[in-house]
Amino acid sequence: MRIIKLNNQIKKRFIFLLIIFACFSASIFLISYSLKDQIAYFVEPTDLKNMDGIENKYLRVGGLVKTNSLKFLDGNWVFEVVDQNQNSVNVIFSKTLPNLVEENKGIIVEGKFIDNIFVAEIVLAKHDENYMPQSAIDKLKEEGKWRGN
Amino acid sequence: MFAITPNVLSNFMNSLSRYIILLSLILISVSIFLIIFLENDYYQGISFKIMFIHVPTAWLSLAIFLVMGISSIVGLIFKSPTAFTVARSLSPIGLIMSIIVLVTGSIWGNLTWGAYWVWDARLTSMLILAFIYLGHILLLYSFEHFQKADFAASVLAIIGLVNLPIVKFSVDWWTTLHQESSVLRIGGPSMTNDYLITLLVSFFGIFMLTIFWFSNIFYIIVEKRKIERSKLLND
Repeated sequence: MRIIKLNNQIKKRFIFLLIIFACFSASIFLISYSLKDQIAYFVEPTDLKNMDGIENKYLRVGGLVKTNSLKFLDGNWVFEVVDQNQNSVNVIFSKTLPNLVEENKGIIVEGKFIDNIFVAEIVLAKHDENYMPQSAIDKLKEEGKWRGN
Repeated sequence: MFAITPNVLSNFMNSLSRYIILLSLILISVSIFLIIFLENDYYQGISFKIMFIHVPTAWLSLAIFLVMGISSIVGLIFKSPTAFTVARSLSPIGLIMSIIVLVTGSIWGNLTWGAYWVWDARLTSMLILAFIYLGHILLLYSFEHFQKADFAASVLAIIGLVNLPIVKFSVDWWTTLHQESSVLRIGGPSMTNDYLITLLVSFFGIFMLTIFWFSNIFYIIVEKRKIERSKLLND
């Protein structure tokens, strides 16, 4: 008799906790779903095509530095940020670049569009998830499987 | 299941703790040796070696919270003092782990990204995890009776479980400055085997150290309660 009573209590507590947990996670899901544009840290050049009024709006744009586009002209760094769909953004930056900004590597630029040129105030290098020693790359190059630069 | 009192678990862990600390010290020394002689990453140079502390502590800070949350659920449903004590002794370890993750991560971030801190989804959700650990500890010590404290802290731990998938999958759901997972990802690890083995050795070393640390905190809590109980009986 006592065991049945205990089981009922356990069942009650279990259902109670389940309801609390479900309600809380549903609310978190709804909040993060409706704020997903704010939670996203950067937009890609392709996303910019579908956005209105990007002129003079503070934005972060992320992608790869286009090959052969990184140049130092008149005291400014000039380069193109390109994404997988080959859409690109022209960027100008007047301060020192982070050490790990290189061509064909990830980058995030923070600033505004002025006359269709992105004037960056902050530049961050975005590292990808690959970790390799130089010897492994040499081996891949020998086998002809290396796709980087 | 109800036979596992805090005392029984404490004694069981104490009988094993010397082997656990021995294993942990061996694994950590091996991993330090491996880390020193490992070839640098082709792109980041030597700073990538921070990963061998950052990644294991990040995994552990998530895993510890998962165990804390599950034992809080078990504690609330079955009114089990053992489960409550497990959750109580895990939260300081989790807090230290998440602080290590944030500090090592921001050092690496400054070297790699060019910024100590940004408010992207991964970094922010990890900071929230550290704050939940801190809140759990504060709740535990802000009640006079430990039963009430355990109840309040368990509710926080269960609610905090919602944050775990957000921390883990934030890099996949939203665009972030933080890179995607390198080990637990679809298509296998994106690092070479020598890095992966070093990472796993380092992880198991820190994992064993965590278990040793946990068993010590658990032991202290159990012994303190025994002393308090005997004081109450003598009064």
